[in-house]
Amino acid sequence: MKRTIGSLLIGLLAGIGIGIYLGWEQFPVEYTNSSLAALAPWYQDEYTVMVAEGYGVDQDVNAALLRLQPLGKDNIFDYVQTLTERYISQSNVPNITPMVALAEAMGRLTPVMEIYRSTPAPQPDALAAP
Amino acid sequence: MRGISILGLLLGLAVGIGLALIYTWEIDPVIERNTAPWQLSDSAREDYVVAVALSYAENQDLQLAFDRLRQLRPSQDVWTVVAQIACERHKRVQVKTNSDVVVMRALEQLYRPQGASGCADGQYPTPAPVNFVTQVPTPFPTSTLTPPATKTPTPVLFTSEPETPFAPTATVSFAGSYVLARINPFCDSDVNGVIQVNVYDNNGQGIAGVPVRVSWAGDQSDLFYTGLVPDEGPEYGDFVMEAGRTYTVAVASAGAAQQSVEAVPCGSDSSLITSYQISFRRED
Repeated sequence: MKRTIGSLLIGLLAGIGIGIYLGWEQFPVEYTNSSLAALAPWYQDEYTVMVAEGYGVDQDVNAALLRLQPLGKDNIFDYVQTLTERYISQSNVPNITPMVALAEAMGRLTPVMEIYRSTPAPQPDALAAP
Repeated sequence: MRGISILGLLLGLAVGIGLALIYTWEIDPVIERNTAPWQLSDSAREDYVVAVALSYAENQDLQLAFDRLRQLRPSQDVWTVVAQIACERHKRVQVKTNSDVVVMRALEQLYRPQGASGCADGQYPTPAPVNFVTQVPTPFPTSTLTPPATKTPTPVLFTSEPETPFAPTATVSFAGSYVLARINPFCDSDVNGVIQVNVYDNNGQGIAGVPVRVSWAGDQSDLFYTGLVPDEGPEYGDFVMEAGRTYTVAVASAGAAQQSVEAVPCGSDSSLITSYQISFRRED
């Protein structure tokens, strides 16, 4: 009897170890009903760029904000500004222009974005020229 | 091996694995992070596809759009998925704002050239560019001074031929000043490149027999009358355009407003020419 119980306990411990490995590592739960907030950061950034390009089409900043809300960011404005500045620092050229346009529409145009605006503001020198 | 019961070991193993899987899959599953687009819910997938379509409308990069859509791992053709989402949005009447219309056009612009189709096909046509002609104000007519009477009376000439009897003419129904009331470009395969003119009076009643002049290429023109297509009402007249030409439409009366329209293709479908509904209103 002792032998059986001992074997059962050994098997139980080994089984738990194997089961945890299988359940968390080898065959973890795969979510198939996820929200945009659960997307991997890379996909979230790509989605934001697509929304920024969409803003270039409809020029509707409120619609862009509504499309970004499902990402679940605490502050969408901060997120757009940070992502835009990151793309600028990475010289991610294709994404910079639409992101700068969206950041500007959200009132988050920073000095580093200035030169990437599609219609840069005239320089004071140019205005002073005869 | 004498101290181990194989049966007990296997039983413990099975129970242990079972308990651990219940715990790792149900009670404390791995935290959801780093999800890929194919794992999105239906509504999130729709948001994603809309973003892809808007992006394509801006950058026209079809390969990029295809790669992004493929990340959804759809069970069917990616373009069919886009068409289905456009159809669902159309059925659910999710088109309320201008931005919604832009989305519908972007979706259609993405799936239709790839051969997919759905119930939203052609529901949100891109309006053709319309060139409005600024009407030059007509100066007030100057009254012609009546020449002063001369002292010498004009001799009355007698002729042997009898005078032509005066025949009173009926009052012309279309007389008056006309203004452009409405212009509506549209795309319809049944009505390809047609100018549909409707002429109304101030009370909204159709007026038949109004001459409408269509001119193009500087020196060419054609005249047609309203009311010749009884099924369309007394106010209706139409003219078929040739692709690529610019036409000027006006009621053939003095000082009437005129409207220029272009026979441009409907979106990407070069075989379908934009048609126009132009309404004139008589100001009594």
